[in-house]
Amino acid sequence: MPSAINNSTRRHEYAFGIILLALVILGSAPASAGVSGPVVRLFPTTVLEDIRETGQVAEEMENNLQEVINRMDMQQQLFEESLCQGADGDQGCDRIGKQLGATYLEMLDIMSERLPEMERAVNNTRSSLEKRLRQELGQRTTPTSLQNALLGETTSSAQADRPALRGRSGVRLSDRFKQYYNLVSTNREGASKSLAVVASDIYLDMDEASHLIAATQEEIGRAALMEQLNQSFGMITPEMAAVVGGVKEILFGESMGEAAIAAPPYAIGEADFVSPLAM
Amino acid sequence: MLRYLICLSALLAVSACTTAKPDYCAVNLRDNLSAAMNTVETKLAGGCEYSFNSYFNSLLTIAEANPSKDNKMLFSDHLMRVNDMGVISRRQAEGLYNRYFNVKFVSLQGDYNTCSQTCPVRAQVLSDMQAELHDKELGLMRASADSASFYRADTLLKETDLVLEATCRACAAGSAQ
Repeated sequence: MPSAINNSTRRHEYAFGIILLALVILGSAPASAGVSGPVVRLFPTTVLEDIRETGQVAEEMENNLQEVINRMDMQQQLFEESLCQGADGDQGCDRIGKQLGATYLEMLDIMSERLPEMERAVNNTRSSLEKRLRQELGQRTTPTSLQNALLGETTSSAQADRPALRGRSGVRLSDRFKQYYNLVSTNREGASKSLAVVASDIYLDMDEASHLIAATQEEIGRAALMEQLNQSFGMITPEMAAVVGGVKEILFGESMGEAAIAAPPYAIGEADFVSPLAM
Repeated sequence: MLRYLICLSALLAVSACTTAKPDYCAVNLRDNLSAAMNTVETKLAGGCEYSFNSYFNSLLTIAEANPSKDNKMLFSDHLMRVNDMGVISRRQAEGLYNRYFNVKFVSLQGDYNTCSQTCPVRAQVLSDMQAELHDKELGLMRASADSASFYRADTLLKETDLVLEATCRACAAGSAQ
């Protein structure tokens, strides 16, 4: 009987030991993962798909607006070259003004038709990136590891492949999305440090674009009404010029040219001194 | 009258002697950085611990006048020796070295997540990093002739600014939901 009790106790001790060992192994797994730092996954397939779709919607909108905007540019040029500004009562100028106004209304129509889809695509990209940024960089990263991740990017190729930052590239919106998509789809398993900058860049662009789209949608109804009234007078208003300028800026990247944020790349040489005091 | 004059001149002579006594901790450091560091370490060992900051600034001035890639290593060794002497703590040594001679920013450190630690004080962190960049300009570019590392630090600050703006906006949107 005592030996049966002993055997039972041993079995319990043995089972307890195995459970303890399993717990130690399981417990040590995240710790050992933590040594090399958390893996930052900013561009899962869902985010990539959102970016690709936003690029497609932007391209469709550009294609629809390109011809109308070109026509408006020519009419505007004709209006200016004919010295029509302030030439009230001139029949030729009135005609050019009305044509310009009609083209402007056409542009507003296309925009009001296309903007809801654009808004949906932009908001989807913004929301999915917002969630990833909050989880991966906001909650799973410390300031120290964030700095390490950003500094890890030292290869010249990573910088060379990167599109110019914060919408200052002077390229079409759809091309910028193609650049973003290509960059993140080819590098999403590696070079997570450069992707932190790209993800932040796209997110801030999308946030800005989302507000602009909402403001533009609010303005379109008012602008269309104003222009319908102006059609009877054939005037070109500063608001018209501003709206057209804004659309060209967002879609085609015109009238930009500020310097990009990133500086030339730097590769740390092998012979660099590394202090034992260094972080 | 003559006795008064003699006494007065004797008093003046005594007071002149006392003011002329040199301050042991005051030191005129020369242009050789290694020799200057040795002098400083001797002074620090001799009870001049409170002059450490002014010595360090003088050493930086000497390094600035004689820029060399080796200066980074000289400062690292000097700070470690001063730490061994017990004048400054290991943390202070690391802080000083990294502030002046490392690409990484001491101002951007922490063990808690970015949403809770950095975002509430983002403007202050970036302002501190900007001030630190000025010190890196002195340590990396002017004293160590390492402009590439300084430009990397400059880029790091700009990228941090961008990433923190996006991350903190995402954190705020999450907490508002």
